[in-house]
Amino acid sequence: MKKLLFPAFLIASLFFLPYVLVGDLSVEAAKPEAVSCKTCHADLASVLPKGHPPVAENSLASCMPCHPSDFEGRAEKNLFATRMHMAHLPPRGSLDCTACHEWMPGKSFGLIGREGSWGAPDAKDMDFLRTIFKSWAGSGYMDHLHAAAGIGCTQCHGKGLPRADDTVENDRCLVCHGPMDRLAQKTEPKEFKDRNPHKSHLGDIACTVCHKGHAESKVYCLECHKFDMKIMGAGEAKK
Amino acid sequence: MKPEKESMEGNGVSRRSVLKGAVAMGAVAVGGGLALNMSAPDRAEAAVKKLPSKWDETWDVVVIGSGFAGLAAAAEAAGGGAKVIILEKMPTYGGNSIINGGEYNSWDDQLHLREKLQLGEDSVELHKNDTLKGGDFYSFPELVEVFVNGATPALNWMIEEGGCKLRNILNRTGGHSAYRTHTNVEGVGRGYTEPLKKIAESRGAKIRLNTKLTWIWRRDADSQSPIEGVEVVTGRKTVNIRIGKALIMASGGFGRDKKMLREYNPGILDEYNCTNHPGATGETIRMAQAIGADSLQLAFIQLYPYAAPDTGILDVPAIYPFRGPGYGIVYVNKLGKRFVNEMERRDVVSMAQIKTKMKPTYSLFCEAMIPKMGTKEEVEKGIAKGRFIKAETITELAQKLGIPADSLGETIRNHNRYMAEGKDPEFGRQFTKVMIPLTEGPFYAVAQWPAVHHTMGGLRINKDAQVIDIWGKVIPCFYAAGEVTGGVHGANRLGGNAIPDAIAFGRMAGTNAAKEKRRT
Repeated sequence: MKKLLFPAFLIASLFFLPYVLVGDLSVEAAKPEAVSCKTCHADLASVLPKGHPPVAENSLASCMPCHPSDFEGRAEKNLFATRMHMAHLPPRGSLDCTACHEWMPGKSFGLIGREGSWGAPDAKDMDFLRTIFKSWAGSGYMDHLHAAAGIGCTQCHGKGLPRADDTVENDRCLVCHGPMDRLAQKTEPKEFKDRNPHKSHLGDIACTVCHKGHAESKVYCLECHKFDMKIMGAGEAKK
Repeated sequence: MKPEKESMEGNGVSRRSVLKGAVAMGAVAVGGGLALNMSAPDRAEAAVKKLPSKWDETWDVVVIGSGFAGLAAAAEAAGGGAKVIILEKMPTYGGNSIINGGEYNSWDDQLHLREKLQLGEDSVELHKNDTLKGGDFYSFPELVEVFVNGATPALNWMIEEGGCKLRNILNRTGGHSAYRTHTNVEGVGRGYTEPLKKIAESRGAKIRLNTKLTWIWRRDADSQSPIEGVEVVTGRKTVNIRIGKALIMASGGFGRDKKMLREYNPGILDEYNCTNHPGATGETIRMAQAIGADSLQLAFIQLYPYAAPDTGILDVPAIYPFRGPGYGIVYVNKLGKRFVNEMERRDVVSMAQIKTKMKPTYSLFCEAMIPKMGTKEEVEKGIAKGRFIKAETITELAQKLGIPADSLGETIRNHNRYMAEGKDPEFGRQFTKVMIPLTEGPFYAVAQWPAVHHTMGGLRINKDAQVIDIWGKVIPCFYAAGEVTGGVHGANRLGGNAIPDAIAFGRMAGTNAAKEKRRT
């Protein structure tokens, strides 16, 4: 009996979750593939930027022809994707992933009304993603600094949904922040050139030694040295 | 859900062995019930530390730690045909080794520096005797032999295969009776870790950073019971690794764990600084103890006498006082007086400083000594950072240091005279022909103060680098090398002996680990 209940529950929740999260159960025949922007934004034109051409449909699918998703995982800005996420997810918004994404636990994760899947997250993975997204959307860490600049998950982590133990290799950071030599030049102290955090005596170290994506960034040098060094993304709460 | 028993037996783990594993260290309570259990701390009752029901990965040789010992072990194990992974808990490789002073004792080297620089005689035997004496004969001669014998071949190996470059200098350092302390071009431990890493990686060994050992798997404490694998954590992920041949502990000492330091040696005060990297916290010693490994001499904790007084770090200037004694460097206190024989061991110099009750003390040297100890460039950099103080005369130097000039002048004049006469009536310094008196400027000073540096105690090993259990038996498939081991240096490690110890024993452990029969 137990064996049957759980999948049944999952399937049922798939249908009901968007309704619960949108918070309006009276919406008529709101099938997942036709999530409506107008559910909340009665006058859709009022939330579009000035000068935006009129939008005929009222679903996310109508945005996609002009605003491609992050699906390819390129290391470049995607202001549309980051703005959509920041506007709708906590802390600014209150929607859940499943308002726009179609999630088959352990099987697929895509955009409602669009082909293709980012991966196969299970419930645990999704909880993790929600936590990370919350940090990305409003923390004082490096993730939010990137969010504000139009950088989402895939721009750092590459195609697909990042795994819980994923890290970001230097090469990826350096696509935007490199090359390493120039970066080192930028941070070369005037007084003591060998106190350059990007030219460590510890050799070729990972950017992530100091720069943490979803946690407090810390100057690793200061574990031993008393230098006057500061780092962005050190966790000052954003107001 | 499948019953636990069934799923575990499916992987070749019997229920009996699981239970046995749970009481690995304990006296089993007769007739069931609770038993002594060391699988986890703070448990109110006997817990079951179950062997993993499945292994996530398999490696022949797993090395814990990526310093001198770990890299050397990995290099030799990989060279012996084993599939090797180094697990490093820190986000960077190299531990204490990459930031260490880079001083390497070896009676000889392929450049034959001692002969070339005409610095007298030396031998493996002399190195061994100095080491035993310097450790107050607490070290085991058969262990000392391994590293004094292995020092020269290991140095040449790093030069030939790893591209290590030595400076054309050789120092006689505290407690040594010969000029045998080598320095690499980089002037720090990185000058050896990079060559070792190069050799290890070229032979196929892999390094995984940010990966912390959390448990060592052994079925029980039977002397035939080998190491089965390890549990490690990377970020949020726990992984169980099956070990086909052997586990090598090369995880270093516990200099940065104040609690552990004080528990083993209450004389190590909280106010003491430390030269170590933040990862030197010694928890792996407890993990080895929990599966039966013996440990010894954990109270022997070395202070480095010449650390930077404010931070406790061992920066480039902090190595000069160590290199200098063989060329005539002089140590003085704030009153401008000598307080110790500069040729003394680290423990003696450190305690003499602490007894002055005047932090800091100073090392004094002159221009002519610089090329013997280091480079002009290093000294210039140190001056710019305020670490070295330079003056044209001893009087000016005293003024800059805030030391009574009359007193310092007298001390230096006396010391120069002792050197000329070849006899030090105050502290019994052993003068040599190559020493330089402080007669011609410019003169230099560097402030120094003791800081926790090296933990001589650790896991008990034999001369084959095998870990010994509390009953005196070899734990199968378990090796250890470097600072995590004990009994190699005795009560006081002579400066410059740590690197040859770690590398010689690392090579020994790696070579032997590769020869172990591969298990599935």
